[in-house]
Amino acid sequence: MSEAAAPEMIVVIDDDFAMRLSCSKILSKMGLRVEVFENGARGLEGVAEHKPGLVVVDLKMPGISGLEVISRVHEIDPQIIMVVITGYATIDTAVEAMKSGAYDFLPKPFSPDELRMIINRGLDRRRLALQSQRGEVERALLKRQFVTFVSHQLRTPLVAIHQYLDVLKHLDQTKDDPVRRQEWIDRCLKRTEELQNLISDWLTLARVEGGTLVKERVEVDLKPIVSGILTTYEEMAAAEQVSLETVWPEEPLCVCGDRNCLNVLFDNLITNAIKYNKPGGKATVTGCLSGGEVVIAVADTGVGIPEQYRPFLFDEFFRVKGEGVKRTEGTGLGLHISKRIVSEMGGSIEVESQAGIGSTFRVRLPAWRAPAEDTELGSWE
Amino acid sequence: MSVKVLLIDDDQDFRVSVRSLLETRGYEVLEAGSGHEGLRQVLEHKPDVILLDVMMETSVEGYGVTHALKYRDEYAEHSHVPIFMLSSIEESPDERFPMSGEVEMIRPDAYLTKPLDIPRFLALLEKAVGGAGRVP
Repeated sequence: MSEAAAPEMIVVIDDDFAMRLSCSKILSKMGLRVEVFENGARGLEGVAEHKPGLVVVDLKMPGISGLEVISRVHEIDPQIIMVVITGYATIDTAVEAMKSGAYDFLPKPFSPDELRMIINRGLDRRRLALQSQRGEVERALLKRQFVTFVSHQLRTPLVAIHQYLDVLKHLDQTKDDPVRRQEWIDRCLKRTEELQNLISDWLTLARVEGGTLVKERVEVDLKPIVSGILTTYEEMAAAEQVSLETVWPEEPLCVCGDRNCLNVLFDNLITNAIKYNKPGGKATVTGCLSGGEVVIAVADTGVGIPEQYRPFLFDEFFRVKGEGVKRTEGTGLGLHISKRIVSEMGGSIEVESQAGIGSTFRVRLPAWRAPAEDTELGSWE
Repeated sequence: MSVKVLLIDDDQDFRVSVRSLLETRGYEVLEAGSGHEGLRQVLEHKPDVILLDVMMETSVEGYGVTHALKYRDEYAEHSHVPIFMLSSIEESPDERFPMSGEVEMIRPDAYLTKPLDIPRFLALLEKAVGGAGRVP
């Protein structure tokens, strides 16, 4: 942090010349900046001018009392740490001072070590307070941005649907066009579906907030999972004029993971490969076992993902926009969820893409390894 | 010669319905799916009024477009084209940029919430351009 470079400023307010001198010497030797003042009035001016991180104030001074100095310093800046110096005779007042916001007190006479210890503790306290204040501001800002963003994501399809219906209502009956009406109804249905998917994806993430998506770690063969998904989307692929293909070895491709999550993962990747494709294109799933990992690549022959978007591809709610990208009903959460699933299973996901040629999402997951015999027998117990 | 309306919004469905509405009222409608594309069309087609979505690729893209139109030299000829800012978030520029003197620089001519209140929207549009059939 850049501000760590500047030493903290300490203001000392004491009517005793010797005390000012010794405090000044000790604190300067600690590498701190020090300003000293002989009474409360001057001291408060000094605090306003120098904006110290910590103020050492004598309780018993002529003129403005130490107690009043504490409350007036906190009017200037409540984050300033106040350390009170007091004689034994005024311990009760010191307790009073702590109640009114002083951080700590130091009874006279005190040793240089005692002063150093109390100042360091005070400064640590201040750093913590400032950090947590900054953290709170950042969290509040993030939360506000998130709420704005999510409400925008939820409202966008609703606005589109509402606008279609309202315009239909306002269009002159004589200008009503049955073909257009049908098209608009279809679009409304699509956008409703988008909203439903968005809500269910969002719920998936909200439910596991802080927890994990992956609930079990068992042996799962990816081949039947992928085949099952491809069968489900045969019709959709035919409608988009996209052919589906698999290239993989005879033997099973087993990983250690959660069956439901693996279904979600490959469902996301395969539907993307169909949706972001072009008529006459291909969606190919390639699988192999390589160096203790199962590598599954899902490739499309679509427009490709522009390079500038690739770093954000797995971010929450990120969606590629721009020329050549069709209006597709994505939630912006699919790849984010996919990445989380892969990471939780100890794997990785990466993307390669070439403009006009297509994109390939490559998932690497640790291959299933049969447990050693003795653990299976439970002989460790 | 009919009034040209440029609709800059990244939601194609929204553009489709608003275009139909405006066309039946005699307006000529131009569409742009991004702020960048919108600015290009301003130079090419010289619209009479601009409908501009706020949150597109970035959450403040509309303000960037407004600023460019009002202050960049290449758009000087179009700096007085009325801008209607559209957003589904009920938040005016003053709320978005509190205590910023720059709000004045990007204040649109009207601020409308999506979905549009159609009668109000058409009335404001008519007022801004003096009717669909005439160029003001």
